[in-house]
Amino acid sequence: MTGKERMLAAFSRREPDRVPVWEMAFNEESIIKLGKFYTDDLPPMKFAQQMTVEEKIKLLSTLFTVAKELELDGITAIGLLGTEPVDDEHVRDGWGRVLRVSEEGEATAVGGPVTEPSDLKGLQAYHPQPADFLMLMAAVGNLGTDIAQVLVQPGPFRESWSLLGSMEKLLYHYIKNPGFVKDLAQVATDYILEVVDMAADNGADIIALDGDLAFNQTTLMSPAQYEEYVFPYHQQITEHAHRRGKLIFKHSDGNMWPIMDGIADAGFDGFHPVQPQCMEIGEVKVKYGNRLCILGNIDCTYLLPFGSEEEVAESVKETIRVAAPGGGYIISSSNSIHPGCKPENYIAMVKAAREYGAYPIDIAD
Amino acid sequence: MQDILDGIKRAILVGEEEETKKLVADGLEKGLEPRRIMEEAMMPAMEDIGERFSSGEAFIPELIVAAEAMRQGMEVLKPHLAGAERGSGLVLLGTVHGDIHSIGKNLVRMCMEGAGFEVVDIGEDVKTEKFVEAFREHRPDILGLSALLSSTMQRIPEVVEAVRAEDKNAVIMVGGAPVTQDFADRSGADGYAPNAFEAARKAKELLN
Repeated sequence: MTGKERMLAAFSRREPDRVPVWEMAFNEESIIKLGKFYTDDLPPMKFAQQMTVEEKIKLLSTLFTVAKELELDGITAIGLLGTEPVDDEHVRDGWGRVLRVSEEGEATAVGGPVTEPSDLKGLQAYHPQPADFLMLMAAVGNLGTDIAQVLVQPGPFRESWSLLGSMEKLLYHYIKNPGFVKDLAQVATDYILEVVDMAADNGADIIALDGDLAFNQTTLMSPAQYEEYVFPYHQQITEHAHRRGKLIFKHSDGNMWPIMDGIADAGFDGFHPVQPQCMEIGEVKVKYGNRLCILGNIDCTYLLPFGSEEEVAESVKETIRVAAPGGGYIISSSNSIHPGCKPENYIAMVKAAREYGAYPIDIAD
Repeated sequence: MQDILDGIKRAILVGEEEETKKLVADGLEKGLEPRRIMEEAMMPAMEDIGERFSSGEAFIPELIVAAEAMRQGMEVLKPHLAGAERGSGLVLLGTVHGDIHSIGKNLVRMCMEGAGFEVVDIGEDVKTEKFVEAFREHRPDILGLSALLSSTMQRIPEVVEAVRAEDKNAVIMVGGAPVTQDFADRSGADGYAPNAFEAARKAKELLN
């Protein structure tokens, strides 16, 4: 089977020839550290936003080399929204959102073009541009159609709070101004639908809807608030993706148990990453394995950064034993390969997935 | 008078900022002791929302609106509190260098304020030297360090060490998604809490 066939089989909850291996994200530093195992032609260690075009191309090319060498079954592209620098630590995007860049993770909105309901009238909506999909196009051009092409796009919750420049402000309006929250979510959703169209036109097979809805303890909003302020927009997006013949899954860290029914009912095809500190993957498999493909679960908080290669292999083996039988499981870390993860441990994770992930799964308790 | 205290508590619980301010002002005008308003209405309201949050009855939106009502009510009340009554202590909060996440720390700030602490929040991605400078400037009763990522969490012990070099008796609390009691102990911190409400409780416990 090709990587793409494996990924699609898992999403159909059928058994492929082996458990697919894919990753939601690698940071710049992680790509370069992994790249050192396979090539000497590496970009300098800095944020993508601070790289020249040539250095960005080299970074992407390093990522594709890693994907080929490790025979990953899917590759994830992010939207490369154009930004202009504000100062050393901040950039502004096409929506007018001010983002703080970070060496340890993705940029986060700290200021938005909307502060109150009346701002929505004058808001100049940003429409996705072909250049935003350059990473996807490069992935399709370099890795072809034998590998599943995943495009990650923030969901309506994250896009909404980014427009306000603060998650707390959005959650405050959940109580104070429900109409405003819904209007913002629709602005965000209209934009996301355009992104889904352009992703589909440019070769994406799967959409990853990003943006955490939970933290370690519980969800950021109550199940009733999810139903009112997030679910209808999720539904619009999943229906649109399916009309375009694309799969779509929800990503959220944290304890998502309170709204897992909603995630399945909203029409998502999968759920990522089943953070092991908050959710037990065997239980997710039992309760939702007949409705959702399960992705993730290999701990990137402690295990991949600080564990040994043997411990990583043992965790992969146990996770495959619990989650893979019957299909419907794609292995990945419990969020991303961030700069704290040892590259050796990621390589050990991929190797162990190959060792233990051949179907039919035959791992004793 | 009890009806005003009950009214303030209810107004904070449902996040009615204007009602909270109005009732606090009414109470003061009618001769309610400022300390009574704080201890018998405002702080119990935040404890109540904390209990509901811990039991899964309330979520972050309910907490945020209650904390905002509390904050606005405190603005009315504060000028009337005598120096010694001005709260539970001073907390200096920040997220360690490399970590730009703010919501966890901001929730801790809200809960600390709700528990009567004065809070100086020095923001996110704070370099170790800046923690030391801010500690020197504010001399807080408690320093709170936050990290969301297991990579940035590694900077916590460095900050603890640097602040202790400034003041060996500094009381330091740590928290954030990847932080555990074991990590807090190994970092030399005095306190750890798994969530924002527990952090406020722990802070009080450490100072008593």
